[in-house]
Order: sequence, then C-alpha cells, then structure tokens
Amino acid sequence: MYKYDSIDKTIVTERVEQFRGQVKRHLDGDLSAVDLAPLRLRNGLYMQIHAHMLRVSIPYGLLNSEQMRALATVSRQYDRGYGHFTTRQNIQFNWPELADVPDILKDLAQVEMHAMQTSGNCIRNISSDQYAGVAPDEIIDPRPYCEIIRQWSTLHPEFYWLPRKFKIAVTGATTDRAAVQFHDIGLEVVHNDAGEIGFRVYVGGGLGRTPVIGSVIREFLPRDDILSYCEAILRVYNLHGRRDNKYKARIKILVKAMGIDAFRNEVDAEWAHFKDGELKLHKEDFDTMEAFFPAPAYEELDAGDARIEKWLSLDSRFVDWYNNNTAEHRQSGYRIVNVSLKEHGVAPGDATDEQMDALADIAEQYSFGEIRVTHEQNLVLADVREQDLLTVWKALDEHRLATPNIGSVNDMICCPGLDFCSLANATSIDIAKQINEKFDDFQELYDIGEVKLKMSGCMNACGHHHVGHIGILGVDKKGEQWYQLTVGGDASNNAALGTHLGPAIAKDDVSDAIDDILHVYKDQRNDDERLVDTFRRIGVEPFKTRVYAEAQ
Amino acid sequence: MATVANRAIKARPKATPDRIQENIRNSKVVVAEAIEDNDLLHIAETEELTVNDLPAGNISVPLNLWLESKSALQAREGITAVQVAADESPEEITEDLNDIDIIVLPFVAYIDGRSYSHAHKLRLRYGFKGQIRAVGDVHYDQLDFLTRCGCDAFELPDGDDHQAALQAFKEFSDVYQPAADAGRLVFARRRAVH
Repeated sequence: MYKYDSIDKTIVTERVEQFRGQVKRHLDGDLSAVDLAPLRLRNGLYMQIHAHMLRVSIPYGLLNSEQMRALATVSRQYDRGYGHFTTRQNIQFNWPELADVPDILKDLAQVEMHAMQTSGNCIRNISSDQYAGVAPDEIIDPRPYCEIIRQWSTLHPEFYWLPRKFKIAVTGATTDRAAVQFHDIGLEVVHNDAGEIGFRVYVGGGLGRTPVIGSVIREFLPRDDILSYCEAILRVYNLHGRRDNKYKARIKILVKAMGIDAFRNEVDAEWAHFKDGELKLHKEDFDTMEAFFPAPAYEELDAGDARIEKWLSLDSRFVDWYNNNTAEHRQSGYRIVNVSLKEHGVAPGDATDEQMDALADIAEQYSFGEIRVTHEQNLVLADVREQDLLTVWKALDEHRLATPNIGSVNDMICCPGLDFCSLANATSIDIAKQINEKFDDFQELYDIGEVKLKMSGCMNACGHHHVGHIGILGVDKKGEQWYQLTVGGDASNNAALGTHLGPAIAKDDVSDAIDDILHVYKDQRNDDERLVDTFRRIGVEPFKTRVYAEAQ
Repeated sequence: MATVANRAIKARPKATPDRIQENIRNSKVVVAEAIEDNDLLHIAETEELTVNDLPAGNISVPLNLWLESKSALQAREGITAVQVAADESPEEITEDLNDIDIIVLPFVAYIDGRSYSHAHKLRLRYGFKGQIRAVGDVHYDQLDFLTRCGCDAFELPDGDDHQAALQAFKEFSDVYQPAADAGRLVFARRRAVH
C-alpha cells in the first residue's frame, strides 16, 4: 500500500498542529463555536447529539495491521472501546473529548492516517472497490489512481469552501462495487480501443434528498488528464453550484439544471485553458504509484485445495461461512474473506477494540497484513490461502466476526440514526435489531439469497436506502417514527433507484413488511433470480398488494 | 463606446446579497505578511450609486460603477481599486487589468469559496500583476489558502487579532498541488527526484 514520503509526513503533521492551534484558540475563547465548526468539520470532527464524533479517513478503504491497531488503541484510550466503520470506508469514534482530538490525530499521524476532509463542503475521501487488486473481474487496479487523486485533492486551496460536499469514487472492475454512478464524480478505469488506459467519467450522481444516477460526461478521458479534468469540473461547480439552499447545492442539481451537454461544454471550455499544464500526469507518475500496490508475494498454489472439501463435509457452520463470507480470488489457491460486522444485536459496522486488534493479528498472519473496509460496512481480508481458511474462520469466529450473513437481509447497511446523529428523524439501529431477530433462521436467508437491505434514519440517505434492493427510510410523523420502504434499487452497474412501495409503515411492523416482500419474491421467483431481478420482471404491484393487504 | 458599456450593465444585477452592503473601512491591512495602516474605503453597491456620490480619498468601487464610469474613476486622485464580488466574474474586467491597481474580493461569508476561483483566474489566466485584496468576512484561518490562490492583501475586521493571524502564513511548509503560488504538483517534484 502507499507509504508516506517526507512531503506527506510534513503536510499531515502540520495539519495536526494547525488543528491543535484552532482547538486551543477556541478553548481560550478566541474562536467562537460557530467559527470553529467549519474548521473542525474539515478535520472530521462533528458535534452529535451526545458528544463530538471524529471521522478518520481510510483512503479507498485500505488499512494495514499497524493502522488497525492504532484505531483500536484510539477507541480504548480516548473513546468507549469501539469504532463504527462507515459507508464511505472510513471509521468514526462517537465519544472523543474535543481537547483530546489533536492528540488522537497526532497518534494517528504516526501510522500515516489523518482525518482531513472527512467532512465539510470539500473533496472527501476517495472511495473504491474493496476487492481492488484481487477480484477476478478486475481490469485495472484502481488504487494507484485513487491515491493520485487523494493527494491532488488534499488541502486543495481553491476547493476547500465548495457549495456542498464532494465525493469521488473509482472502480476498475466489470462489476461496480464502488457505486460510482452515485458519486459527484464517478470514475471507471477502462481501456480504449488502442489499449490505452483512461476513465469513463460520470458526474452528478448522488443519494441524499434528491437521488440521481450520474451522467456520463466523458466516455474516455486519457489517464494523463485526470487531475486537470477534475479541476475543471470542480472549478465550474465552485463558481456555479447553488449556495442559497443547502439541499440544492450538490453538483447533481447544477448538472440537472444546466443539462449534461451544457455542463460538459462549460467544463471543456474551462479545461481548455490549462489541460496541458502542470496538472498533466506522466507515465512515470503512474509507474511510481503502481509500485506501491504490487501483488503480494503469493505462493504458487493449485486451485481448490483438497482440505476445503474435507472441511466442508465435516462442519456445516464452516460451510455456511465459506459459502456466504468468502469470495473467489484471482490467484489460484487463495480466497477473499469477508469479515462480517453485522453480528446479531450489534449496530451494523461497529467493531470493538478487541476485535480490531484481533483482526490486525489475523491479517498479519494470514493476509499479508492488510485489511479493507467495504462501503457495506464490513471488512475484508483480501488474500487468504485456501489452506488457512479453517484456521482463519475459527479465529474470526472466536471474536464474533464470522457471522455467515454477507449479502443477506441481515447484512444491512445502516446509518447511526437517531441514537447518535443530530440530523436523524428515526432510529436505524432498533430496526436493524428487529430485522435480525425476525430473520434469525440463516438457512432461510440462504434460500432467499442476495438482498441488499439499506436503511437511513433520515432523507440525507447516509444508509443509501435509495439503492437498496429493499430500502428503508426513517421519517418523523408528528413525533412518531415511521418507515418508508422502497424496492428495486441497485448501486451496481445496472444503477437504479428504488420504487416507493406505499405509505410509511409503523416502527413495529417493519420486519413484517420485509417478510411480506420476501414472501412475494419466493412465490414468484424464477430459477436463479435474485429479489431485485424478480422485481424488475414483475414490478412493484405484487409487493405492494401483499405488504398493505392487512391494512385494507 | 459608452453606450456599448451601458447596455452591458443593464443586464447585470446590482446590489445583490453578495455585494458589499455598507461601506467598509478597516484600520489595518495585512500585506506581505506584515500589518500596515489602511486607508482604502470600500464603497457599498446600491441601485442608485453614481460617480458623483463618491467621497474623496482612496476608495474601491463596485464593478458596476467601474464599468459605467471608467474614465471618471481613472481621473480621480490616488489608486484605482475595483471590487469583484462572488457573484460577478473576472471576465468582465480582463480588458481593464492594466488600469487597475487593486482588485478587491469582498467576502460576505467566508464559507463562500467562489472568490478563490476568481483570484486563481485573475493571476493564472489573465495575468493580473496588481494587488488582490480579500475584504469582509476574512480571518486567520482563510489567509493561507487565499494566498495560495493569488490574494496578497487581507483586511481582517478590526476586532480580529492581526498579530496572531500572521501565524497562518507559517502553518504549512509543503503542498500537494499547484495553485497561483509557487506550489507545484507533488508528482512533478517526485518525477524530478527519480
């Protein structure tokens, strides 16, 4: 993975000291809480219902064991012994003291981590495919490009006070696991007919109050031009994005208002001024960056280790875990292991300090010391030898990290909701628990197959409910918590927004409604059809009829 | 000539919330990382403002007034300073840059970053060599990035601690990307090392 050089170290260290100064001025009474707010936000520090919340950046979701241990230490030393992994592959601590935050950041800087631009109206952490470098369907490894964009966008002086936040995602695989069509800029690394590397560029996608699927602004952008082209998009947005209404300030609203063709013309006109200037990248820049992301030192192994068959025949719990939580690897004799952070009864995405430390050890011993964070709030050990799977499973299971529910209804994306977040209208975590309790028969879940269940506690959509195969949105109705359901959303290549099912559902009835949806699916599915495929074929009506049958 | 300019003005909105609402007179200005006395008065834009309403002394004028009355303004004693508000654009004065000593960028709210792009363009695209001065809701924590984008003078409100704010110029000794300063793209620098 990327290693800081003296330039990175200087900038991160100086940013910590700058923030220390800002906090000190505030505590000394020289900087008001109102004026501190935008400054602390640009360093990942929010004010939540009960306390501050610190969001630490995990660039494109990639961590090493040392960093994971540092996060565990932070949670133990400065927080309440756990962290929450987020849908943008970052981690949040819910209980730090403001006065401690500069020291937390200093500790994190020692392991090459920071909290820069994890919130605020600026360019956020670059997110990517959690299977980068190991997926069988990968065409080009996106990580070097993510890192190049990360550096360019870090403390960019012109784009620090944008109309609204700005999110960039990069994928390099046939299957989009990074939801690039739902980002302000989405980049798909592709080859052109001449075999050159470049990007298909999407712009103006996003969730939130106004969900929009991104438009293609450029079918093929040569990779040398990626920074200058992003700079042109950002300048047009910075100058013309709406600032009078925060709910209409994202770039998606500007692109919609102008139309993609007019927006493209504006960007091209801007770009023409500096396209071949200092921002142009050279081949050696890519070569240098790619060298930070080599394939690990794989052993030459045969695919399909014989021991797997034996283990599968002996232990049904291992079977469930193997089938659900591991995925095919491009290197024979290896598998990708998904670490479920969706244990029954635990807030989705939460991990304790003890679990983080354990994972750091397991990764070090069995997966080249690297861990990835997924946008579905799980973790990944990307390079596990098949022959080690039983040991790894046992080790994960010992730490309650092997719940065999990846991709199932129980593997839901869920925002922190009303339990923590000052924006939320409704609880998310209680609903997650209710669903976990309702669907505790895992064999039944396996029969249902892949269901992306995504839940947000308010219309800001941190839980990506619009793109859930089943989406749940918490709303406030005269002080009561109600839930709106959608069906048929999809964050991957066949990007789609979910269709509204009907009137909001009372809190206690949510899991029953989901059960109804799953029953319709089971009754109507064809062979090998997932819920979302059945929905596409039969439409929303049968689901609606069943869910609201009793009410009529 | 005058009629062409006037026709252009009619299409421009006047006295929007992004313009200076009341005349601004700050006692100090930070130039070249040092605090100096300031005598530049920034004239607020109103619907009726004409060149006859202007007080004596060094003033900056709203862009509309400049476009309306260039020659009268140039005939005045002292420096020529023109405001370009966040909702205006430097493109309106690209032909006039040699006649202007100071371009004033008024910040109604520091969270509005449009003027960073104005400064960037004025320096890098249009080659403005005069002073670019940030005025209004401008404080300690904005000075570094404003400098990087091409501003070289800052009027902090009189209540601010100017001496403390000078620290802003020393907070970072390195950068990742080019801007309107000497900063270079980090990859170009690494390229030179290899």
